[in-house]
Amino acid sequence: MEVKLHDIGEGMTEAVVLTYLVQKGDYVKADQPLVEVQTDKMVAEIPAPAEGIVQDILVREGETIAVGTTILTLQTSAVVQPNPASSSNAAESFRLPSANEETGGSVLTKNIRRVLATPYTRKIAREHGVNLEQIAGTGPGGRITDEDVYRFIEAKQTKSASSAAALEAAPKKENSSASATSVLPFCGRRKQIAKKMAQSLYTIPHCTHFEEVDVTELIRFREELKQHDIHISATAFFIKALSLSLKQFPIFNARLDEEREEIHLYAEHHIGIAVDTEDGLIVPVIRHVERKSLREIHEEAKQLTKRAQENKLSVSEITGSTFTISNVGPLGGSIGATPIINYPEVALMAFHKTKKRPMVMENDEIAVRSMMNISMSFDHRVADGATAVAFTNYFVRLIENPKRMLMELV
Amino acid sequence: MVVGELAQERDVVIIGGGPGGYSAAIRAAQLGLSVTLIEEGELGGVCLNKGCIPSKVFAHAAQKMADIPHLKDIGIDLENTGFQLGKLQNYKAKIITQLRQGVEALCKANRIEILRGHASFLAEDRIGVEAGDAFEVYRFRHAIIAVGASHVSPPTVSVDHERILNVDSIYSLETLPGHLLVYGNDYIALEAAMSFHAFGSQVSVISDDGTFGLDDTIAKELQRIWKKRKIKLYTRCQIERAESSLDCVAVTIRTAEGETATLEGSHLFVSCEKKANTNGLGIERLGMKTDENGFIQVNRQAQTSLSHIYAIGDVTGAPFLAVKAIKQGKAAAEAIAGQLVEVDLTFLPTVVHSIPPIASAGLTETEARRQYGAVRIGEFPLAGNGYASILGQKDGVIKVISDAATDVLLGVHIIGAGAVELISSGVLGLEMAAREEDFRFPFYPHPSGNEALLEAIEALRAQAIHLAPAKQGKKEDHTKGVTI
Repeated sequence: MEVKLHDIGEGMTEAVVLTYLVQKGDYVKADQPLVEVQTDKMVAEIPAPAEGIVQDILVREGETIAVGTTILTLQTSAVVQPNPASSSNAAESFRLPSANEETGGSVLTKNIRRVLATPYTRKIAREHGVNLEQIAGTGPGGRITDEDVYRFIEAKQTKSASSAAALEAAPKKENSSASATSVLPFCGRRKQIAKKMAQSLYTIPHCTHFEEVDVTELIRFREELKQHDIHISATAFFIKALSLSLKQFPIFNARLDEEREEIHLYAEHHIGIAVDTEDGLIVPVIRHVERKSLREIHEEAKQLTKRAQENKLSVSEITGSTFTISNVGPLGGSIGATPIINYPEVALMAFHKTKKRPMVMENDEIAVRSMMNISMSFDHRVADGATAVAFTNYFVRLIENPKRMLMELV
Repeated sequence: MVVGELAQERDVVIIGGGPGGYSAAIRAAQLGLSVTLIEEGELGGVCLNKGCIPSKVFAHAAQKMADIPHLKDIGIDLENTGFQLGKLQNYKAKIITQLRQGVEALCKANRIEILRGHASFLAEDRIGVEAGDAFEVYRFRHAIIAVGASHVSPPTVSVDHERILNVDSIYSLETLPGHLLVYGNDYIALEAAMSFHAFGSQVSVISDDGTFGLDDTIAKELQRIWKKRKIKLYTRCQIERAESSLDCVAVTIRTAEGETATLEGSHLFVSCEKKANTNGLGIERLGMKTDENGFIQVNRQAQTSLSHIYAIGDVTGAPFLAVKAIKQGKAAAEAIAGQLVEVDLTFLPTVVHSIPPIASAGLTETEARRQYGAVRIGEFPLAGNGYASILGQKDGVIKVISDAATDVLLGVHIIGAGAVELISSGVLGLEMAAREEDFRFPFYPHPSGNEALLEAIEALRAQAIHLAPAKQGKKEDHTKGVTI
């Protein structure tokens, strides 16, 4: 029997094989975890669909494989399957082994592998890809409580993180682990972020410049719209203005292919929005901003942010961006930053906190204006500072006079 | 057949509008998916049109007939208490129409597109719908197969729907059978036997095992009731031959010991095996996995071997119960909408609308002993329940089984008035992993049949109030050294 990587949820398409929990020749029981895999969101165990003997391990640890790839093969003969209930494959493991199926299935012979957990707790486990049979319940009478499930997930993450760390620092293992007072798991999304950031910073010569934007008019315009009961977030305006600017400066909506010595410019503006969640940074993508109205952008950004916070984004919703923004203003603080580009994109723009400041106006009078700083990082291999400044200038003009955007209506 | 190149695009296509199919359709619509439901016959499927609902109309009428002697006891004299089968048929037709219209209205209110015709898969993402001369092709992202199963007569019996009947024909009879022979091992056989007996037919039951898949205590009580009512039971028998003539049926049975006997009756009812309705559906073309009997294999999300196609209900094999189809239908719709769902049939309740009704969930005593070794048994006969006495329905018993090591409830089995309603308490407790105290602690309405469940729980520890000490806790002897 072939044990394949199946879709564990949220539309995953591939996963990295982390650690094998069994060896060739091992006897395994049905549902015994065989291998740990990591998707872009979580670490999950793949259980044995039936009992048998591990015949062959086909994928090496560390390899990335697509859903449907055979990871290992199990030898499941009638000899090693005394229990007919677990002899069928995973796809049908829930079917009741009715001895009387030929007589119309009148008799339900149940072979319960009873898990002492309420349906609510079972749902939590399901949503975290946890097999309840591996958890020892601490509740009354050995019941598995919500806390048991959460503790198990945490322990598993710590375990896989520390085993990975142990592999890398094997010779000095005793010295380093002795002084650590607490250990945080470095896996799942945290590890994914680390990998991407390092790749970007090691590859791209980053250049960041800062600019300040007078958003007083934008605030006024949004107030006006509110009176018509139209609510459009500032972010939606930024995204729209950005898309209009990218139309003028397509070099920032591009990808460098060094091998083929080509720069690919994209006509589609798929804008990634950096969202902070409990599990760390994630970047959902609004597709085809160049074709979308402010209202559509606003709605979509809102939905994606919500889904991000609920951890419900699918892989297709977090891939394929051509330019990324990071709106750190609402988080408070921060007057500037040197953001790391979302590789392999060419540029990224961060929006900082808006503050009221005294500004000298064109008639040399001082007025109180709402000012926002922006930081723009770009790939200096692809563009130069002058182009980047021209780009932000264009963007600033649109934001400072939001009605100019009307001129770009198609 | 002309295959148009212009396929219409659909989100979710559901094939079959039985209880599973329409539940899936409504749930999918609730989750914002655009849904197309394809039905060849009538909405509601076998359950509504031929199975559950018609048989329950009969069971309801039968219960009323059975109540008549009791009505006299409490001073209600009905002058003419004859039974007119024709009127019941009209009532059945009215109920079916009413329920079917309800389903149609709900589908409409949920903006579900209903297509009439026969569906067959053309490719992994294409389905054709044939209605008369018209043939339309639809392209779908997800599909749910809910085509159900059909009856197959046992090899030794050929159903003619005149004298030899199955569930498709017995509830359409225009005249009452004089002597009904019932052959089967399931709830369908039980319901047919009990209903027609209550209407006045003489009834004899032929069964392979005589336990009907019930817990031994429940089966024993059922046999006691049958004996009292003069329903003859031939157990461990199989039909060798059945021949119908103009006015009777002759059935030759063979016992386990190899002896043969011939029974004569006016009609024979056989509870059939089932066969998946996958003929002409085109799933072979897709390489969809089926089991050796042709039922589609699905996982706990009701997903087939093709991950974007789901299958629910009878077409996925035993148990052939609408309650399973409904649950799988909802789960499939939710899975398509991206939710993480699971169908777990462990505590699927089985109910029999017989007289008295039977309901059970979880393990039988035999199963519990095999899996857990030491178990506690609590039994409470309804004769000890005050409210059952008032109702004049003292037949029946409630049995509960718990794990002696952990007190966790393992099974609840009820035969007696109110069993079908009362089993919900049992199912809920079993799903919540309830222990004896969780059942013992709450208040139970007084006076009511609910109290019998409490007393069965209390009987686990020989503490039922309305039961003599000698009659409870005696099964403790079998719990292998566990003391209480």
